[in-house]
Amino acid sequence: MTTFKYVLRDMGRLVVNHWILGMLTLITAAVMLWILGITTLFSLNVENLLSRLESELTIQAYVKKGSDVERVSQQIQALESVYSLKAYSPAESLSRLQEKMGSQSRALDLMGDNPIPWNFEIHVKEAGQVEPLVSRLTAMPEIEDVVYAGMVVRRISALSKVASHVALIMFVLSVVITALVVYNTIHISLYSRREEIGIMYLVGATRTYIATPFVLEGTLLAFLGALVAVGGIVLTYFPGIALLQANLPFLSSSLIGDTHIIGRFCFLLAGFGATLGWVCSYIVVARFMHSVTRPE
Amino acid sequence: MKIVFSGVSKVFDPDIVALRDITLKINKGEFVYVIGATGSGKSTLLRLITRELLPSRGMVAVGSVDLRGMRRADIPYYRRDVGLVAQDFKLIPTLTVYENIAFVMEAMAVPSKIVSYRTNEVIEQVGLWRRRFMKPAQLSGGEQQRVAIARALANSPSLFIADEPTGNLDYRTAADVMKILFAINAAGVTVVMSTHNQNIVNASRQRVIELAEGRLVRDEASGGYFD
Ligand SMILES: Nc1ncnc2c1ncn2[C@@H]1O[C@H](COP(=O)(O)OP(=O)(O)OP(=O)(O)O)[C@@H](O)[C@H]1O
Ligand SMILES: [Mg+2]
Repeated sequence: MTTFKYVLRDMGRLVVNHWILGMLTLITAAVMLWILGITTLFSLNVENLLSRLESELTIQAYVKKGSDVERVSQQIQALESVYSLKAYSPAESLSRLQEKMGSQSRALDLMGDNPIPWNFEIHVKEAGQVEPLVSRLTAMPEIEDVVYAGMVVRRISALSKVASHVALIMFVLSVVITALVVYNTIHISLYSRREEIGIMYLVGATRTYIATPFVLEGTLLAFLGALVAVGGIVLTYFPGIALLQANLPFLSSSLIGDTHIIGRFCFLLAGFGATLGWVCSYIVVARFMHSVTRPE
Repeated sequence: MKIVFSGVSKVFDPDIVALRDITLKINKGEFVYVIGATGSGKSTLLRLITRELLPSRGMVAVGSVDLRGMRRADIPYYRRDVGLVAQDFKLIPTLTVYENIAFVMEAMAVPSKIVSYRTNEVIEQVGLWRRRFMKPAQLSGGEQQRVAIARALANSPSLFIADEPTGNLDYRTAADVMKILFAINAAGVTVVMSTHNQNIVNASRQRVIELAEGRLVRDEASGGYFD
């Protein structure tokens, strides 16, 4: 307990002595962790959006008149990317159409005979499976026509890939930059006190006692940086999704706006920042102590 | 603590031989002067005892422990029992006189009340009471030297290693410092000090170890500076 008090005081001295460097480290860590947080949240949202859209990914396939509907249906169901298939008779299709059109459904009466052929509603699991399935369906002689949300699907699956790549790159980049900055700052802090470290060791301070304030300094700077980043996320994320919801209402149900989830995310981010700072400064301090305390 | 050197040589890079084949024994409670021309290896000898240096050949043992084989975790605990006054003082420039002395005890988890009591006590003992909140750079050479002496005393060590502790002191102040060293020696502390001061050596007639170009050339029970 006594030691703890002395160690904390020494850490305070370190932080105060190098406060400009400390501030720069803190700001860099804050910006990097903010970027990390925002990109992670962005890709989480894209994932969320995709999983919702994907569950609505359907393909409509129309069967040629006179084909064996039962056989074609079995053939399609045998394809592995098909998640579910539902067949609609011409009569069923007509009544569904009438339902959708509501008051205008009388227009359909003018067509006389029901022109709608047997058709299948096919679901797939992932956006990426749509295109291959469509080309296989089109190739089947019994299929008259295939209708699907082609461009949308292509765009979404491309976006999903890009989003996860970008998130990964930003994640690695911000972790590496934060780590380097903390490492460097603590190294400077150690280096400017190498004489002092040598003296303390020579008159009987343990390596742990000497090293702990430096490790704490690095951990504290990264943790404070993470807290600033969390503040930045709260200040930018919620207005950001509010703006999106106002302009793109169809997205609203797919955005993560739950304060509990975001709160937990921020908690994780702060913990991550502190851990990162701790690991980096631990490594640099251990290496430095080893070289300073080695006898000639 | 008993100190044993057996066949100790120390060679610095590239091939500066600071000590050649030194064999000697210092018993617990002895008072020993180490003398010799500048560059003869006095500091090297003392730094081997504090394990700042390791011998290139031979063995240095303190108590019954071979210093080379000492576990790394035990080194700080060993050094707490060794009061060290280095030739270049080794004070921390960013700390005040008080803090320079106090941190040794703080590192040993001594409660702050006891730290402050003992620190003030040794500061008074070396006559630096009015300088206690100054930084080393604001002190004269002799004052810095006395801070180093006070720091070495603070722990009440059982072995006191002093590398020219009176080098920067006038006759009277040096005599005061010697009084302190004789007093702790009388209380059972082993004292090993190097010096160029022939008056001090001749006045007290203690054991004298003389080095010349790294060799042990004289080891006399109650010697003078020139014999
Ligand atoms: N770290 C070192 N690297 C290389 N040579 C060294 C080192 N330390 C000491 N020496 C050399 O070892 C020899 C002995 O040095 P030492 O400091 O022990 O002498 P000394 O007797 O204490 O001298 P002085 O009376 O001037 O303090 C000298 O020639 C010195 O140059
Ligand atoms: Mg010397």
